[in-house]
Amino acid sequence: MKKHILKYSLHIVLALVGIITILPFAWMILSSFKSNEEISALHQTLLPKTFTLENYVSLQSNFDFLRYFANSVLIAVIVTVLVVYISCLCGFVLSKYKFRGRNLIFGFVMMTMMVPWSVTIISRYTMFMKAGLQNTYLSLILPVMVSGFGIFMMKQDISALPDELLEAARIDGANEFRIFHQIVLPMSKNSISAIAIFQFLWVWEDYLWPYLMIDSDKKQLLAVGLTMFNGRYATDYGGLFAATAISIVPVIVVYTIFQKRFVAGVAAGSVKG
Amino acid sequence: MFKKKRALQSKSEIVLRNMVVTFLVAYMAIFMVIPIVIAFAGSFHNWNPLNGTYKWIGLDNYIRMFQYPTFWVSMGNTVIFCIVVVAFRVVLGLGLAYAISSRMVKSKTFFRTIFYMPTVTPLVAVAYVWKIMYNPQFGLIDNLFGLNINWLYSSKFALPAVMAMTIWKDFGYAVILFMSGLLSIPGDYYEASGIDGANAWQTFRYITLPLLRPTMILVVITSLISYLQAYVPVMVMTKGGPGTSTFLSSYLVYDQAFVKYNFGYASAIAFFILIFTAVLTLLSFKLIGEKS
Repeated sequence: MKKHILKYSLHIVLALVGIITILPFAWMILSSFKSNEEISALHQTLLPKTFTLENYVSLQSNFDFLRYFANSVLIAVIVTVLVVYISCLCGFVLSKYKFRGRNLIFGFVMMTMMVPWSVTIISRYTMFMKAGLQNTYLSLILPVMVSGFGIFMMKQDISALPDELLEAARIDGANEFRIFHQIVLPMSKNSISAIAIFQFLWVWEDYLWPYLMIDSDKKQLLAVGLTMFNGRYATDYGGLFAATAISIVPVIVVYTIFQKRFVAGVAAGSVKG
Repeated sequence: MFKKKRALQSKSEIVLRNMVVTFLVAYMAIFMVIPIVIAFAGSFHNWNPLNGTYKWIGLDNYIRMFQYPTFWVSMGNTVIFCIVVVAFRVVLGLGLAYAISSRMVKSKTFFRTIFYMPTVTPLVAVAYVWKIMYNPQFGLIDNLFGLNINWLYSSKFALPAVMAMTIWKDFGYAVILFMSGLLSIPGDYYEASGIDGANAWQTFRYITLPLLRPTMILVVITSLISYLQAYVPVMVMTKGGPGTSTFLSSYLVYDQAFVKYNFGYASAIAFFILIFTAVLTLLSFKLIGEKS
């Protein structure tokens, strides 16, 4: 009997937290289909009384929000591919090759993970402006293409690969580049997908750096686009709901499909750490 | 024991090693070391890029920082923010992970998937959604609870409102870490404590909690590092206001650097945050390491 009560109360608590977790998303999506009058009406309902796509239509025609979306996808894909490849390569060399200074380099890369953005961003901004990189996508890619987190994850993962495997390939006459591409990369799929997911999200939500570097509307990214929209149409709540929904919902869909990989990635990083 | 040293080394191995080492060292120098050095030097200058000022003023930026009331307010807010949000993250994370891991709960994946959802969503967008949720006229929160509080415009409620959003966004990460920490505890430990007649609380207090120490350290330290750098929620939801009641130290750097363009002054504050982060990280290592 006592066990039953405990079981039910456990489920009730979990369900309650679950509802609190989902409610803001549900409210955002439902409100994005309401007209502005209905959003600011005195009497509020959760479901839209009259379902309208007007917010999405006018968001696109006034603001070209899909362009920011496409820009963000492009930059996020490029950065993610680069980070994954560089992390794997560095992780391979730092875990499987023994040479002097190896631990020093690795330790230094780890230390950089602790440095707050506020320490480096001002001088990076000055450097990039002087180098004439303002308003180029190169400026968004360069400072994030090496990830301490990525190198750390890949070093942990690749060091667990048996040396015999690599040795056998060497005896068969494969050079190191082939070993890396044909053995190491394919065997690190799980960590690669974890890094890819995180890196993609970090680019997707990064605000300050693109805000500082990109000054043309056509090249701007999603997170900055959101604040620009809010600055220009401060009272268009319907539009803001639609814009936030466009930035959030695709992420949730991808996450729900690949949630096992997400979770495995986070967990792997913690246990090995 | 006597591992045969492989005769170093094929040519391609040396080429690859040199490539990677050169790349990493050069990259770290250009994108980390040089910026840190420039910022450190800049913190001793009156540095404003708009009018091209760059003038040596010694320790003035640091002295001004310590005399600036907003600096202390923002440090105080940051400490409160960190303590409250990290505490909620640990308690909620551990509690929910413990509940989900219980043998009585079946749909583990379902709950885990939902709890982790806010963590993967982009912060800027989420902060906007919460900003509208706090609207006193048609926001979800006042309507749902029948309240009439103008959360983000009240110096009493604005900081708690930002903290609540952050807790909601991030607790799922701790749930996942604690779940995998709990999974890694071997079942024998629980059997042994069952034989010894320990009750549920004793088992949790003397078996589970000490064994979760590595996870605890990881959660607390990664949380501290990221919350000391938080500025997006403040920028979107309150702009530091009303007054200075929601200024966090990293938002102060953003405000001084990229709203007011006091680069030297902002760099001084940034270095203070760096040292503060390092000290706090070491402290929490020590504190959590010594318990048990």
